[in-house]
Amino acid sequence: MPSSNIARSAAPPIARLIEAFHRLPGIGPKSAQRLTYHLIRMPEEEANEFASAILGVKEKIVLCNICANISEGEECAICSDLQRDQTRICVVEEPLDVIAIERANVYSGQYHVLHGIISPVNGIGPKDLKLRELISRLQNGNVEEIIIATSPNLEGDATAMYIQKLIGPSGISITRLARGLPSGSDIEYADDSTLAHALESRTEIPQSPSDQSD
Amino acid sequence: MTSKRPFTYTTDAVVLRISNLGEADRIVTLIAPVHGLIRGVAKSARKPNSKLGGHLDLFRHVIVSIRETRSLHGLSQVSTVNGFRGLRDNLQRFSHAAYVSELSERFSVESGANRPLFQLLINVLESLETTTNQEMVVRFFEMRLLQLNGFAPELSKCVETGVELEPNNHFYSPDRGGLIHNNYQSSGEAAVLPASLNTIKLLRFLSKTDITQAGNLKAKESDIRQLSRILREQIHHVLDRRLRSEPFMDEVRTRHNSNQISK
Ligand SMILES: [Zn+2]
Repeated sequence: MPSSNIARSAAPPIARLIEAFHRLPGIGPKSAQRLTYHLIRMPEEEANEFASAILGVKEKIVLCNICANISEGEECAICSDLQRDQTRICVVEEPLDVIAIERANVYSGQYHVLHGIISPVNGIGPKDLKLRELISRLQNGNVEEIIIATSPNLEGDATAMYIQKLIGPSGISITRLARGLPSGSDIEYADDSTLAHALESRTEIPQSPSDQSD
Repeated sequence: MTSKRPFTYTTDAVVLRISNLGEADRIVTLIAPVHGLIRGVAKSARKPNSKLGGHLDLFRHVIVSIRETRSLHGLSQVSTVNGFRGLRDNLQRFSHAAYVSELSERFSVESGANRPLFQLLINVLESLETTTNQEMVVRFFEMRLLQLNGFAPELSKCVETGVELEPNNHFYSPDRGGLIHNNYQSSGEAAVLPASLNTIKLLRFLSKTDITQAGNLKAKESDIRQLSRILREQIHHVLDRRLRSEPFMDEVRTRHNSNQISK
C-alpha cells in the first residue's frame, strides 16, 4: 500500500509508524494516523510496555507441535490437558476459531488449526495448510472422528471435501458442522444454499411432556 | 451529510474473489457485463445474520446494488440469480470454476464493458455444473477468451511463412500466436510446442463450435494434453504470467485420474 499523503509529509520516524499501523488488518490511513499520534503522546514507560508486549508475542508465542494452535510452549494448553476427549479432532481455519468454539463451552475434544483455507484464486493450495500435520496425528489410531469446522462457504466446503478425500480411506468418521438458518434471521433474506442446507439438516421437533399427558 | 449524492446502480454480476476486511467485512471482486471489474465492500458480511454473506459467495451469479465511491464501492441489496450448486459438492468442478473465474478477472478491467465475456463465464459455469467433459468445456473457454480479446490463434496458415498448412503434424508458437510449419527450423530463441494433426483438428473445432458441442467432443488423452498445453501456454504468453489457480486444478486432476485408474 502506498503511504498516505500525511504519512509522506510527516517526519520519517512518524511516517514509519503510520505505515506500520496501516499494514495491520482493518486499519485505514486515518486510523493509522490517529493511533500514531496517540502513541506520541503516550508516557515513555507505557510506550516501552507496549513495544515489549509486541516483541514478547513474537518471542514467546509459537505454534503447538501437535495442533498448530498458537501456544506458549511446544504443546498448547488444550493438547496437554489429558481430561479432554482424545478421540475427536475439530479442524478449524484459524486460532480465533478455537477461541470461538471454546467460548461456547460445548466441545471438549482436540483441535487442529489449518492456518488458512484452500483458495485457488488466491493461490492458496493444500500444501499451504497444516494438513500433513493433521494426517500424522491420525497414525496412532486413537482418533475416531474428525469434525470439520471450516467456514460455511464455497472455499470452506472445498477444503472439507479435500480433507474428506485425504482421510476418507482411513475409515475415520468425518463430520461437518451443521449449517442452516442463523438464530435471529429472517427466512426471506436467506440465500438458496443456506435454505437448502437448512432443509436437508432439518430435525424433528420432540413432543413436549405436556402434549403427551393429554 | 454531504450534498453530493453518490452514484448508485444495480447490476448482474458474478463473484470472482473474496477477502476479509477488518472485523467482519469482506472485499468482493465482481465481474459485471457493463461495468467490468467491480471491487466493493460488503459490510458485516461475515456475521452469521448478514443478509449479504450467503449471496456473496464465490462463483455466484447475483444481482447487487453498487454505491460508487472513489476507492472501494459499497455493496448492498444482494440477491442470487444462480448459485451454481453443482460446483459446490465436487472438487474438480470447483477447481475448474476457480480457474475460469481467475481468467475472467485477468482479462477484465474496471469500468471496461465486456458483455460477451460475462455471458461466456455464465455459460461455462452453468456447463461445469453438470458436464461429463469438464476438460473440454474449459478448453472451449480458453479458446473463446483468446478470441474475444483479439488473440485468436492462427490455425490455417504458418505464422512464420504465411503458407497454407497441409494436413499433417506441425508446431505451435505461443510467441507468434499460431501454428508453424513442421519444416520450421527453430532459431532457439522462441519455444515451439508439438501440435499433432489431431490436436490441430481439435483446435480448429474449438475455434468454431459452441459450448454444447465442445462438451460432447471426445479425444485421445495425449491429444487433449497437447491441446491443453498449447492453449495454456498461449494464455501465459498473453498475460505474461501463470495463474494462481493452476497448481490446485492440476493436483485435483492428477488425483482424480489416479483414482479412476486404481478403481
Ligand atoms: Zn495443541
